[in-house]
Amino acid sequence: MQKKIKFAAMATMIMMLVLSLTACGGGKDDSSKKGASKDTLKFGVTNFADNLEPTDNYFGWVLVRYGLGECLVKFDEKMNATPWLAESWKISDDKTTWTFKIKDKAKFSNGNDVSAEAVKNSIERVFAKSNRAKTFFEYENIKADGKILTIKTKTVCPGLPGMLADPLFLVIDSSVTDRDYAKQGPICTGPYMVKSFTKAKSVMVANPNYWDGAVPFKTVEIPSIDDPNTRAMALQSGEIDMAVNIAAGDMPLFSKKEKFNISEIASLRTVLARLNVAQGHILSDKRVRQALIACTDRDTYCKVLLKNTFIPGKAPIPPSLDYGFDQLQDSTPYNIENAKKLLAEAGWKDTDGDGILDKDGKPLTLDFVYYSGRSELPLFAEATQADAKKVGINIKLKNVDYNVLDAMGQHGDYDLLISNIITANTGDPEIYMNWYWKTNVDGNNPQNGAGYSNTDYDELSRQLSQEFDVKKRRQIIIKMEQILMNDAAGLFFGYPKTNMVSSVAITGAEILPADYYWLTKDIKPAK
Amino acid sequence: MEKILIGLKTNRTFFIYSVLAFLLVVIAIFAPIIVSHDPLEAMMKDAFQEPSSQHLFGTDKLGRDCFSRVIYGARYSISGVLLLVAVVFSVGTALGVVSGYFGGKIDAIIMRISDLMISFPGTILAIAVAGIMGGSLINAVIALTAVSWTKYARLARSLVLKIKKRDFVDAAIVNGGTPIHILWQHITPNILPTVIITAATDIGSMMLELAGLSFLGFGSQPPTPEWGLMLNEGRQQLQTAPWLMVFPGLAIFITVVIFNLWGDSLRDVLDPRQDG
Repeated sequence: MQKKIKFAAMATMIMMLVLSLTACGGGKDDSSKKGASKDTLKFGVTNFADNLEPTDNYFGWVLVRYGLGECLVKFDEKMNATPWLAESWKISDDKTTWTFKIKDKAKFSNGNDVSAEAVKNSIERVFAKSNRAKTFFEYENIKADGKILTIKTKTVCPGLPGMLADPLFLVIDSSVTDRDYAKQGPICTGPYMVKSFTKAKSVMVANPNYWDGAVPFKTVEIPSIDDPNTRAMALQSGEIDMAVNIAAGDMPLFSKKEKFNISEIASLRTVLARLNVAQGHILSDKRVRQALIACTDRDTYCKVLLKNTFIPGKAPIPPSLDYGFDQLQDSTPYNIENAKKLLAEAGWKDTDGDGILDKDGKPLTLDFVYYSGRSELPLFAEATQADAKKVGINIKLKNVDYNVLDAMGQHGDYDLLISNIITANTGDPEIYMNWYWKTNVDGNNPQNGAGYSNTDYDELSRQLSQEFDVKKRRQIIIKMEQILMNDAAGLFFGYPKTNMVSSVAITGAEILPADYYWLTKDIKPAK
Repeated sequence: MEKILIGLKTNRTFFIYSVLAFLLVVIAIFAPIIVSHDPLEAMMKDAFQEPSSQHLFGTDKLGRDCFSRVIYGARYSISGVLLLVAVVFSVGTALGVVSGYFGGKIDAIIMRISDLMISFPGTILAIAVAGIMGGSLINAVIALTAVSWTKYARLARSLVLKIKKRDFVDAAIVNGGTPIHILWQHITPNILPTVIITAATDIGSMMLELAGLSFLGFGSQPPTPEWGLMLNEGRQQLQTAPWLMVFPGLAIFITVVIFNLWGDSLRDVLDPRQDG
């Protein structure tokens, strides 16, 4: 009797094992059909926005990326300012008055006309609600007449069209007051409208009143898959039809041209660690900063660890923009001996034999703040930690949430703080060069939380703000870059390539250098 | 203790598993002698290499030798779990014995506290502890101790309640034994076998909890070579560099299985009961 029960139990178990194994494998035919039907697009992204209020934080980016909102001006693949909602623009002879002509057929998704008055109200709303707006430009007055918008700037502002292309200035119908902008988003002009929005997933529907042609999909589902590998696997399995920013390690998975399209471009971004140079911080000593930069093998990080999806860093501005990358002198190339020498000169010795340098009884310990939303940042942080140990610097890693990072940056709660920054968000790197390094006088430059200040640099920054001649601007910017490099004002790890990978069931998914444009009206089902 | 020594001699399975468990501890202790490379030394030009004669288990994302990291990981993982189980066992048993023997208000207080701690999900508490005190192996041990001692307290308490009524306890009281003497000399030795067996079989599951917390980022922090953390680091390269996950995963699997089987055979030695 016992034996029979035992045998029956074994047989049942074996059968169950076999049955469960049949569930694996054999998914090859279904998976590619799961995604893009002709009506629905599924798009996997990373989303940092908690809500859809465009003046909050950088959340306007999500509105433009998700095809909800549009600006007056758009950047093309060479970062030229091209018409979008504005048909054309010109500048007055005294260089302070800009006149924009809004396109006749431009309409909001609720059917209202995009008049110059609506654009004026939209811009004024941005200035009223966001403290970032004034870092772009300041205006004396804005006038609206039919479809003609006139902006008089307080000081000469050479790059105004490019500034209006920043998602902060997307055009909304501010006359709509019975809507919760944070949850449902404002009324805008883009091909898609919000059906539902949470940070984790958004559902868009086609805008029936879209002014610029047919909208290819009826519904777009946009899940936010922050973990880069999970996103890659979702694309692989067909759960989503397209994804942005696939990590370096996963790119080989999409090399089959019959199944996937890869759109990859050298971006305008720099991955840099801001260094806290304020009094009382170890990095206020320039030699320590130089030693820190000299001990990091950025070449290997980018070519080996990140599998060549990054260009090794030395200067603030990436080589994809023409600002003298090859001529700039790197005063702190990778050189361990030089790093050790600099630290010794600065008075750091290992008196207690624990492998970490110390001075006046305090060890050389630095706090390195990073976040994991972009896969390269923890890698750079850990690689720096490993390299710094070789010269006796102890780096403590602090992994924080992205939302906290910006505040920590502004308050200077760090020794090193790494982020991946777009350097030419207005087509020109002037704003980026000011953000972290122009002297912060009474809070007029809140992003410079590290306390960097250099009078020559500030003077060049002032000249740049008034210079219209493109060649002269280039020279000024190159000089500013050289000052930062000589001062070891930042640790520039590298410049990423950005990508968008889509299944062959869709066409038109192209990534541009300015990464505001993800879901566009050009993304259609493949025939 | 004598039972264990007798068991080693007579019970074949117990002997084998004890040897294996001992081997694991020896590997952990003598890790610096066994390994070929420094587990923290990052030779970044050699990153992501497949297993080869130079690097038995391949290299990880910063060019560190995986074999060395897995062997060194034994130190952190095994010492962490043994510490955890020892603390939980002592604290839980002590509280349970006190609670069961004295009864009354003390019993009520201790049991209500234990009810409170049982209702806490361990992972959430670990996240809270990591958030306040920072992530580290010690903090993970603290968090897990806070939720795990209750099992031993309840077990010890119920065993004490059974023994309390026996004659030899009454005899000891009549003979003038102080409570501490009775607890230490009479009660505890009788409940110890059962509680020890529970602790031994718990080593496996505690190891998984600890590795799980490190996997989520609330236990050991980089660059520590702890198995759970290595699993997390290898996860991002699962399809392109699978050796990063396979070897730490195997290490956890083998360790947990050995300790589980050892705990089981310990039960046979210390507390044999005949079933059907």
